[in-house]
Amino acid sequence: MAVKKDYKDKKLAEKLRDRKYYIPDSNPEFIKEVEKIGLTAAHLCYQCGTCTGSCPSAPRSSYRIRLFMRKAILGLEEEILTDPDLWLCTTCYSCTDRCPRDLAPTDAIMAMRNLAARRDIVPRNFLKTTQLIYQTGHGVPNNDANRAARMKLGLEAEPETTHKYPEYLAGIRKIMDHYGLKERADKILAEEG
Amino acid sequence: MRQYAFFLGCIAPNRYPGIEASAIKTSEKVGIELLPLKGASCCPAPGAFGSIDLNIWYAMAARNVVLAEQMGVDITLICNGCYKSIYEVNEKLKHNDELRDGVNEVLKEIDMEFKGSVDVWHLAELYYDPKIVGLKKIADSITRPLSGVKIAVHYGCHLMKPAKERHFGDSENPMWIEELVAALGAEPVQYRNKMLCCGAGGGVRGYDLTHAIDITNEKMINLQEAGADALTEVCPFCQLQYDRGQIEIEEKFGITWGLPVLHYNELLGLAQGMSPDELALDLHAVDVEPFLKKIL
Repeated sequence: MAVKKDYKDKKLAEKLRDRKYYIPDSNPEFIKEVEKIGLTAAHLCYQCGTCTGSCPSAPRSSYRIRLFMRKAILGLEEEILTDPDLWLCTTCYSCTDRCPRDLAPTDAIMAMRNLAARRDIVPRNFLKTTQLIYQTGHGVPNNDANRAARMKLGLEAEPETTHKYPEYLAGIRKIMDHYGLKERADKILAEEG
Repeated sequence: MRQYAFFLGCIAPNRYPGIEASAIKTSEKVGIELLPLKGASCCPAPGAFGSIDLNIWYAMAARNVVLAEQMGVDITLICNGCYKSIYEVNEKLKHNDELRDGVNEVLKEIDMEFKGSVDVWHLAELYYDPKIVGLKKIADSITRPLSGVKIAVHYGCHLMKPAKERHFGDSENPMWIEELVAALGAEPVQYRNKMLCCGAGGGVRGYDLTHAIDITNEKMINLQEAGADALTEVCPFCQLQYDRGQIEIEEKFGITWGLPVLHYNELLGLAQGMSPDELALDLHAVDVEPFLKKIL
């Protein structure tokens, strides 16, 4: 749990938010979890900034992948997992290809997202995609206009996927249910309203 | 004829069916038969599923691979997002026993087992590979050379990166898709920051559309500088981002680009003599007509 930082001036509190940390803010196990899920040695990051310099999201937002790497090493779990910027990585892997220490920062971010999701912190659109796949097998399902276009092309209205063979949906649902994903997605979205 | 299980994904069959139709027809003309992969699902979306729980992503992708294993043929596909899921999970599970055992424990519940007996290929790489198709066969298959047009290439991130988990070499300035474009008689053009992301991936298109299309807009600036008549790619999700994204850029930023965006298979179809109707080019958000006028 983060210590409550009681600056009376809210702007000052915000400004100092990233600067003042206490021992209980840090979870030394966090970086180990990131490394285990992301299959990377993220703790070796020496903060050169090649990742942020390569990042298409950095010039147009406050998302800084170098900062996430540093915070992860410092164990600032709470701050990382509740930061909306965590979801601005397009997973383009430019940082991963350019990282001089070969630390796959993209995969570290994916691991941090997985850890956020364990606490039910997931943006709606991610959950909605999983719901659609549970229902139809597709993240982007067929529709009537597209069915008509397909037939004009000499294709069948439904592609040779779960759309044409819905009997395969049972297997997909079993896999997702194994992880309780559908139930969790429904619950989180219902809570958000 | 070489046979492959054709993994469709979502956006090609369900938004741009011309890509699916042209992939089947154009491949036949260069000696590749695409077999239906019955019961395949979404790859699943690496951004959405990978971000929530990589283990579910592994298991769901593995189910799709196992369908092809049961057919006894390699998989080919036409989307970079699918490539990331299907190719990468296939390779990871082949080489990481712990991951494979974990996935197989889940697949056991649906009477499936990942064996690691097939390979996964992007259709574009099969076209480029001289042992499979090769540039000469592509050039020989065309009846309507796309001469006089400048075409820029967007490779897409998940085809090329991370480079060490791929087999295409350098991911900073690849040129092989330009060679495939040149084989159609068109002039490939280079542009600034070619390998920049389209902006859609990682769930960002759904999470923050303005952010996503701002990246797309930067690409558009660079493409216009180069004087491209069209943009080609090998990923329907990138295509959707560039095509519908241009309409969204118009709505949100008030900038009109009007740059036609075509999947390489649609270009190949045109060059092999397919009509715009046979490619459902009317489903594109950005009018393809100005480009067609130059080549038809």
